[in-house]
Amino acid sequence: MLVELKVNGEPKSADVPPETTLLKMLREYLNLTGAKLGCDVGDCGTCTVIVNGVSVNSCLMLAARANGHEVTTIEGLANSNELHPLQEKFEEHGALQCGFCGPGMLISAKNLLDKNPDPTVFEVRDALSGNLCRCTGYTKIIEAVIDAGRVMNTEQANS
Amino acid sequence: MKKRGRGMACMWYPIGFTVAANPSAATVKVNTDGTATLLTGTVETGQGALTVLGQIAAETLGLATDDVHVVSGDTDVTPMDTGAIASRTTYVTGNAIVRAAEKAREILFESTAPLLNVKPDQLEARDKQIQVLGFPSKSISIADAVQHSESIVGNPAIGSATYNPPTVEMDPETGQGKPFNTYVYATQIADIEVDDETGEVEILKIVAVHDCGTPINPMLVEGQIQGGISMGVGFALQEEILFEEGRQINPNLTNYIMPTSLDMPELDVGLVDNYDPTGPFGAKGAGEPTAVPTAAAIMNAIHDAVGVRITTLPATAERVLGAIMEKQELEQAAG
Amino acid sequence: MATRNKDIQQKTEELITVEESKAPAQQPLAIPTDNPVAYPLELPQGEARLRTPAVGQRARRPDGRLHGLGQTQYIDDITFPHMLHAKILRSKYPHARIVSIDTSEAEKMPGVMATLTGAEIPENSFGPTYQDQPVLAYPIARHCGDGVAAVAATSEQLATEALEKIKVEYEPLPAVFDPLEALEKDSPKVHGGDTNIYTSKVIKKGDVEKALKESEHVFHRQFRTQMVEHVPLEPHASIASWDGNGRVTLWTSLGRITLGREDLSRTLKMPQSKIRLIGTVVGGNFGGKNEITTEPVLALLSKKSRRPVKLVFTRGDEFISSTIRHPFVMDYTTGVNNDGKILARKIRLVLDGGSYCSWTGTTIGKGSILAPGPYDIENVLVEAFAVYTNKTTTGAMRGFGAPQVCFAYESQMDDIAHKLGLDPLEIRLRNGFSENSLSPTSQTLQSVALKESLAQAAERFGWKENQA
Repeated sequence: MLVELKVNGEPKSADVPPETTLLKMLREYLNLTGAKLGCDVGDCGTCTVIVNGVSVNSCLMLAARANGHEVTTIEGLANSNELHPLQEKFEEHGALQCGFCGPGMLISAKNLLDKNPDPTVFEVRDALSGNLCRCTGYTKIIEAVIDAGRVMNTEQANS
Repeated sequence: MKKRGRGMACMWYPIGFTVAANPSAATVKVNTDGTATLLTGTVETGQGALTVLGQIAAETLGLATDDVHVVSGDTDVTPMDTGAIASRTTYVTGNAIVRAAEKAREILFESTAPLLNVKPDQLEARDKQIQVLGFPSKSISIADAVQHSESIVGNPAIGSATYNPPTVEMDPETGQGKPFNTYVYATQIADIEVDDETGEVEILKIVAVHDCGTPINPMLVEGQIQGGISMGVGFALQEEILFEEGRQINPNLTNYIMPTSLDMPELDVGLVDNYDPTGPFGAKGAGEPTAVPTAAAIMNAIHDAVGVRITTLPATAERVLGAIMEKQELEQAAG
Repeated sequence: MATRNKDIQQKTEELITVEESKAPAQQPLAIPTDNPVAYPLELPQGEARLRTPAVGQRARRPDGRLHGLGQTQYIDDITFPHMLHAKILRSKYPHARIVSIDTSEAEKMPGVMATLTGAEIPENSFGPTYQDQPVLAYPIARHCGDGVAAVAATSEQLATEALEKIKVEYEPLPAVFDPLEALEKDSPKVHGGDTNIYTSKVIKKGDVEKALKESEHVFHRQFRTQMVEHVPLEPHASIASWDGNGRVTLWTSLGRITLGREDLSRTLKMPQSKIRLIGTVVGGNFGGKNEITTEPVLALLSKKSRRPVKLVFTRGDEFISSTIRHPFVMDYTTGVNNDGKILARKIRLVLDGGSYCSWTGTTIGKGSILAPGPYDIENVLVEAFAVYTNKTTTGAMRGFGAPQVCFAYESQMDDIAHKLGLDPLEIRLRNGFSENSLSPTSQTLQSVALKESLAQAAERFGWKENQA
């Protein structure tokens, strides 16, 4: 079945079997391999993308369900000239080690900061609680998110 | 009621394989523009090995980290390496890299000494220059040095070397011997609260001070310590594979509980100032030691908080509560 | 010659003309607007990478940039043309003889390009110490995660369906699950023979029995730890592919490719020069990706089908089939004086060694050496045994026995401190290693920083201030 949606602002479509998940459609049909397959049942968060402003586990969502909607993936955060402040801060703080949880973690963080630009440490922990990480202990990730929030607020204030 | 407790644990941990040879080989090539390539057979498993190994090569050659490109993980291209295991990469592969880079550097010293009118052993590589020891203004850029060495003298700056930690076999009856060339040490202290009505343990803070010799990249060592502690927290309080008649009953992340961002406390991490002359620039290692003392520290904190000694891990709420109730019953029986 | 070419040209033109007259009127082809993914190319990566000297810099890791952009290529992100997907059928029983395997129904399915069983593997054994582990179990399966057969098909879905069509006849055998039970003479034997103990270790220094008798206090406790899994966020993954020269290339999440190549050479009975292993960035290892798992299976499936074959473990496979940490049963008996000085320590360790040896040799060795703790103890006896059980293979996991023994020796340290009314910090400083201390194996220790770590941690924590 034909599924048409917008990914990172661009119209995309693919003809997929009806049981295809959004994750599989992104990775195998649209060649956007940023979102990862860590468990396929919504436990680990490595597949996290944003659909119409809501963070979702794309491994649990059928591609068909996303038809007509707007999806943001990790590939949509940077532009040709700049990294997203979250990507910049994650790099600066050494927040990612093996990197596998990274795309999902960054998307969840972006979703948080878009709605709550000045979160407390607890709010950050809470927003990221669906994204498992085995390498980092989350410490530098949280520091990076708070730091990115500060930058985004300053940019907002200056614009 | 919530009871506060604190507990400490210290540990020691070896670097490298137990007695058995576990060599690493490395190749360093310096380019005619003063950048370099490092070939290593190890694999990046997330710990930042490639960054650290690049820094070690850069330091030996007098370059900056960004000047060195690290190529790894291809048996057709990269030399042998026993692997990213046993916390050996910084120490064993690092030492191999120092030796390989020194060989490449020696070629540059030999080629440029006549240009500077000194002997090769009067030279050092530092701040992207080949310069005279004690008289640094007499120098030639590394780029120019490689150009000269390769295109005029005809000696490209390349070096390959290996390293294996020296050990002594352990006696089969008594185990006496020297199984490792070096060890690291650490202490972790946990500050917790135990709810004596539910058995739930909340970790408020963990302080960790680790010895890794010279930290080649302090940011990455901190990351290893923080990550290791999270594995320690899971080991202490949450994780367990459950079996029934040989079948795992929780082979999934819904029912195998591991720490999420909400489970991890504030971490205060520090490094001991130490230098191991047998390691590359004094470095030892950090990968595994970070996950070792955490569970013990938390168990000692539980003992401090509610006076129960947990002897079986993980210390789930059920287990802690069970121990608290048993203790209360014993006290009532005695009293 | 010229005539022949002109004939072909003419025939081709005739064909095109004929086809065109049959074809319906066409719409002009739409030009795809598939915009490439945007990312910056030349942003600097922080000052620290540009500074000399390089050691000690908080340099950013270059893979950090790629991770943040989602550009890191893990094995599952790599695809090749005509690539097949493999799945492995795992044993139905924790211990069983495989009487027969019939893959014919699976092979008949359209899209199933190859199947494999243990009997077809040239050298069906591997292991870092003892080569007691099969690539695919045959004729005995020893745990529920033991692979028994494999298929390669054009899609993952198809491969999973094909597994269900494989008929395996099992003869269940008595199984043992508890390590203490496995020690007993009449327990079922996982690898035959008359004992399940497959490796042991002794560390002996001084005279522990005499010193215990002379101690003012003797403490005894048994400690136990559980089975845990590495849970790397990236599941094990590999791709195998052959070229026309008979060379096989494997892209793999293995953490040690040099030894991996040796393992493949051995199991496939091929020269190492014909084997290439490429290790990409691994999404977490922690010890679980330190031995081959499916690589020989994929190589053989790829050889049979003449197509690249990929296999990615499901999360379930990660738990039941990849290695896990050894549960330890630890008996600690420690003799101390009134002033808290440890005179003797006697330790018995029983390791649940799972179904195959894997990295148990290293774990029992390290565990035994580290078991007395970082303390000056003149009289030490450690006796350690690893037993087979019909459970998941226990292998290398961050610490090789150290987290287990540290839990025991540090718990006991606090028990001692508590009983003698000593500060936990004090008792550790009193007994802890110093420069030139002797280890339990009588090695002179150098670059010792134990007491420094204790003192600094205590200060950072405010240990003395918060004295109850």
